[in-house]
Amino acid sequence: MSLEFAYYPGCAAKQVQKEAASSAEAVAKILGITLKPMPRATCCGAVSLRESKPAFSLAVAARILTEAEAMGHDLCTICNTCLQTLNYANYRFKHEPEILEQINGVLKKAGVRPYEATIKVHHLLWVVTEQVDPQVLQSKVKKPLNGMNVAPFYGCHSQRPGEIFEARKGENVDQLDQLIRAIGGNSVQYDGKDKCCGFHVMLSDKNEMRTMVGQNCLDAKDSGAEMMISPCTLCDMAMGAYQGPAEKVMGKSIDLPEMNFAQLLGIALGVDDATLGMARLHVDPVPALKKRNI
Amino acid sequence: MESRKYTLRIQRNQKQDDGSIASEWQEFTVEGGETTTILTLLESVKGYQDGSLTFRQSCRSAICGSCAMRIGDRTRLACKTHIGSVVDENGLVSISPQRNQPVLKDLAIDIDPFFKKIKEIKPYLLDGPESDTQVGASAYDQVNNVTQCIMCGSCYSDCTMSEVSENYLGPAALAKAFRFVSDPREGKKTERLKSLSEDHGMWSCVRCVQCVATCPKDVKPMEAIVKLRTRGIEKGFIDGVGQRHAMAFHNDITNTGDLNEFTLLSRSVGIFGSIAELGVAFHLMKKGKIPSPFPHKAEGIQEVRAMYKDLEENPLDVETKAAEVEPE
Ligand code: FES
Repeated sequence: MSLEFAYYPGCAAKQVQKEAASSAEAVAKILGITLKPMPRATCCGAVSLRESKPAFSLAVAARILTEAEAMGHDLCTICNTCLQTLNYANYRFKHEPEILEQINGVLKKAGVRPYEATIKVHHLLWVVTEQVDPQVLQSKVKKPLNGMNVAPFYGCHSQRPGEIFEARKGENVDQLDQLIRAIGGNSVQYDGKDKCCGFHVMLSDKNEMRTMVGQNCLDAKDSGAEMMISPCTLCDMAMGAYQGPAEKVMGKSIDLPEMNFAQLLGIALGVDDATLGMARLHVDPVPALKKRNI
Repeated sequence: MESRKYTLRIQRNQKQDDGSIASEWQEFTVEGGETTTILTLLESVKGYQDGSLTFRQSCRSAICGSCAMRIGDRTRLACKTHIGSVVDENGLVSISPQRNQPVLKDLAIDIDPFFKKIKEIKPYLLDGPESDTQVGASAYDQVNNVTQCIMCGSCYSDCTMSEVSENYLGPAALAKAFRFVSDPREGKKTERLKSLSEDHGMWSCVRCVQCVATCPKDVKPMEAIVKLRTRGIEKGFIDGVGQRHAMAFHNDITNTGDLNEFTLLSRSVGIFGSIAELGVAFHLMKKGKIPSPFPHKAEGIQEVRAMYKDLEENPLDVETKAAEVEPE
C-alpha cells in the first residue's frame, strides 16, 4: 500500500511549533510515508473563521481540499484544530450537496478548481498507528522507551464530534496509547487525557486556561507520568509553554516534560536531537529520558 | 435476552459533620442483559443489596432529566444507558455523581448552580422592539435542537470550562439563550447578544465539543454557541479578546494566506494585554519561538481574496439547520 498524502502541517507547525513539523517529516520518511507539500494552501481558519465568516470558512476549506484532490491524494495534517476544521467542512460537503454546490460556485468564480468531495482528511498519528504495518514500525525502533510512563493527551479536536472523522478507524480514540506501547512505553491512564488544553481561551480567560493546563498536567503526574505527548501543535503550546504560568496559578511545581507525539516517536526511531527540536521544549526532557537509559 | 453478571463500581458519598464529603468506591455484582439500563441495575442494588444507595430518578424515559450521572467516561442518563454499551472487558463500569456541582449524597447532587445559570439568561420571551408577529416555518430551523433540552445538567457536568470557572454560564444556558435569540417573537435579541458578549459568557467556551458529545438529547450546545458568536459579531459586539481573535483570522487569510502569529497577540489582546502576555512571550523567545512577522505567502492568494470579496457582496447562508424532530 502506498502511503502518499498531501501534507498540511498548519500554521503553528510552520511558525511557533516548527519542531513538530520537522519531527513529523523525519518520522514519516523513516516509516515510508510520503508527505507532499501543498504550495497553494492557506491557513484553515480554525473555528474562529467559522464564527466570523461562516461561508468564507467553508470556501477556504474547499480550496485547501481541492488542492489535495487535484494532487490525487488524501490530506494529512499534524494539528488537531486543522484536522477538525477540515473534517468538519469535508463532512458537510459530503452530506449536504447543496452546500458543496454553492461553495463550488464561489470557487469557480475565483478561478479555483471545484471540489468533488472525494478525499479524506487524516492525522499523521492515525496513519502511523492504523496504516503503517505494525511490524515495520517495530523493526524501525532503535531506542525503545524501556517502560517509560507516558501520558497521552489527545486534545479535543481529534476526538469530537466523532461522526466527522471519516479517516479514523473505529469508534475508539486510543491511537496515542497504541503508539506509546508500540515504542516500548507504558501509557498512563488519567482523568485529563480527553480534556481540553484551554488553548482557544488562552487570551480571553487566562486563569481558567492556566488552571486547565495545571490540572491536566498534575493529574497525569499524580498517575505516574514521566512525560506527556499530544498529537496537536496547539496542545503542545498550551501544555508546554504555559506550564510555567500554570505553576504560578496552581501554586505548585509541575515539571512534566511535554512534546509532540512525533518528537517522542522520533526519539524512539533514532532521529537526531536537532531535527526533533529538543532544545525548543519548555520542560527539559533529558532527565526523564536518562532515567530510562534513552 | 441472555443474562450475565456485571460489576457496578459506585462512588459512595457521605456528608460529614464538618460539611466535607467522604468518598469511597464500592463494588456491587448485578445481573442483567446487554440492554438492561443502568437505572434498572441501580434499583436492583437499592432493592436487594443496599437500601441506603441514593440516586435520583423519575420518568425512566429520558424525559425528566433527573437521572444524569457519570457513567464510565462521561455523564449519561442512567435510564437511557444500556449496561452492555459502557462496561469494560471485565464487565465493569464506574458510576459517580455529576461533576461541577456540590454532591449531596452518593449519586445525588445539588443542581441549583446549574439552574441559577439558566435563570441568569432569562429563559422566556422578552417584550421589546425586535419582536416579530409573523412566525414562518424556517423559525424552527434554529430553535428545534435546543428545545429538546431536558435540563438534565449532563453538559454542565462534562463542560471543561465549567470545571475551572464558577462564573461561566455553561453550555445549557448558552444554548437556551440562542434559542431565544433565534426566535422571531423575541423582542430583545440585540440586548441579549450584548450581555452574552460580556465576560464568562459565550466567548469563554473553549470549544472542546464535550457538550455535543455528552448531550443525551442532541441539543448540540456548542454549535449554538458558535452561532451566537456569529450573530454577536454581526451586531457589532466585537470589543472583547475572543471576538478580536476570531476576526483576526479572515484578515490574515486574505492577506498572505497564513495566520500571522506574530501580530495575532497584539490584535487580540491589544497593546496592554500584549505586555501582560510578555512573561510568556519572553519564555517563548528564549526557546527561539517568536514567530516570524513575515509568514510565507501561499500561491494563488488572489483567489482567496476574490472568494472573500464575492461572499461579502453575495452572502451565502450556510448555517446548519435542525432536522425535523421525530419522536424517539
Ligand atoms: S429518569 Fe427521567 S431522565 Fe432518566
